[in-house]
Amino acid sequence: MSVNEMARMKFYCDDDRCIDCNGCSVACAEAHELPTGITRRKVITLNEGIEGKEVSTSVACMHCTDAPCEQVCPVDCFYIREDGIVLHDKKTCIGCGYCLYACPFGAPQFPRDGAFGTKGAMDKCTMCAGGPEETNSIEERELYGQNRIAEGKVPMCAAMCSTKALLVGDAQEVSKIYRARIAAKGKGVQSAPYGWSKAYGA
Amino acid sequence: MKKYILLLLGSFLLASVAYAADSQIWGEMRVENILAYGKEGSLKLGSLFTMLQSNYFAKIFLAILVGVPSVFLLHYLVIGPKVFSHDGKKIYAFNIFHRIVHQIAAISFIVLVPTGFIMTFGSTFGGGEFVRMMKDLHGLATVTFAIVVIPMFLMWLKNMLPTFDDIKWMMIVGGYLSKVKRPVPAGKFNAGQKAWYWFATLGGMVMILTGAIMYFMDFNIPMINEVTGLSQIDLLRASAILHAVVGFVIVALFFTHIYMAVFAIKGAIHSIITGYKEEEEVKILHSSWYKKLKKEGKV
Ligand code: HEM
Ligand code: SF4
Ligand code: SF4
Repeated sequence: MSVNEMARMKFYCDDDRCIDCNGCSVACAEAHELPTGITRRKVITLNEGIEGKEVSTSVACMHCTDAPCEQVCPVDCFYIREDGIVLHDKKTCIGCGYCLYACPFGAPQFPRDGAFGTKGAMDKCTMCAGGPEETNSIEERELYGQNRIAEGKVPMCAAMCSTKALLVGDAQEVSKIYRARIAAKGKGVQSAPYGWSKAYGA
Repeated sequence: MKKYILLLLGSFLLASVAYAADSQIWGEMRVENILAYGKEGSLKLGSLFTMLQSNYFAKIFLAILVGVPSVFLLHYLVIGPKVFSHDGKKIYAFNIFHRIVHQIAAISFIVLVPTGFIMTFGSTFGGGEFVRMMKDLHGLATVTFAIVVIPMFLMWLKNMLPTFDDIKWMMIVGGYLSKVKRPVPAGKFNAGQKAWYWFATLGGMVMILTGAIMYFMDFNIPMINEVTGLSQIDLLRASAILHAVVGFVIVALFFTHIYMAVFAIKGAIHSIITGYKEEEEVKILHSSWYKKLKKEGKV
């Protein structure tokens, strides 16, 4: 693979398979020992109550191509890894909230742990890739949770997904699997569901 | 002091109540918010905010920070300050209440504006602890400003209503483009001061409101969403945009206000400290007020 075809890591949740079990969300919170009130991954249900159209899907930070959060941050604390994972530096973050306003998915969250209960440093899904601190250091784990990517492991949520609805990996690989699944069902290729174009840069 | 503590406690309580309520951003509403992002026919505030914040806001603030003082420096060099005798008679203009209210507002602004700039240019300052502290100070100064903004609005309201003098004043730009001391049409406050008053009070209230919305972020007051027709996340986006746009005007006028009080009219700042204005200054720069005082036999 040439450099400009470098793998871009993406999440993809197959809403045909997602059974709304919420396992990904719980696994994430446990793996990273998230404080209560912070949910990096959430299962949402679309078209609730409409028969035949009701689907569930799992969302977190989608590690967008041209990430809007990175564009608006006044302290430039985001950095995008070569593999496309969007991370940020909590020690630089001032908790202004701008990344949340820019984010199409409502991913950034703010624990109220600053002085006088002000918004603390932003927290979001790291695709289990930690942060800028030394890899697998205690500090990295405390601030960002596990760094499973550095250990060659799959992100927690996708690893435990029992129906394998939640996929993660190189965008092209993931879309290949998805297309194969659809072809096997004889449904014809669907376009990406809803307004997901920001995430996948389509 | 008690008032401050109570207010602080109050905002702390409100913050915790707001946080405890069902989240308007990460709860059930999240689905709607995702689907509404950039949707045809919507206000597209998410992408609008992203575009404005990443391309324009910091640049416009920088242009104001450099541009406005440059224009005044040029004015100072070319036309120079208006100097009035400080040995003549004095006219009592501001009572102790006016002065205290103004001073609290002034101190608040002296904190709000630089801390706002530091956040806007946060990356230049490296972010982190220092900028976070400036953000907390920005929030604290908002509390002191919020205490005095309504008294300030009311105490000067009658003097700040528009008059014919204001049109005449604007035609000659308050006489500031000339070195000659000719009586300028203005009452107790001239058109420029009036403009500043309206932006500082009403604009200031917009700044307090939009700032408070961003500060509390995830609160649940359905009335606000109904009146504005905005979901919570769009309310935040609109607030961030308004805070910047109204901020441009307030910062530009704030610089003007300081230039006038400290440099353009030599020593004018003393009047808001002591309460007394120089008679000659009033005679020239507030000629209508001077005539009125004279008629009333007060000078
Ligand atoms: C009357 C004047 C002003 C008031 C009352 C006011 C109030 C506030 C408040 C309450 C916040 C939220 C702070 C937080 O989240 O902890 C805020 C944020 C902010 N303000 Fe102001 N402000 C004023 C003027 C300004 C000016 C002049 C600037 C720019 C030069 C500015 C720039 C900002 C920025 C960049 C933020 C941070 C991001 C955010 O939380 O949205 N503000 N303001
Ligand atoms: S989903 Fe939101 S937080 Fe994640 S990369 Fe995209 S804009 Fe940034
Ligand atoms: S909350 Fe933190 S990460 Fe988000 S835009 Fe503000 S400083 Fe950047």
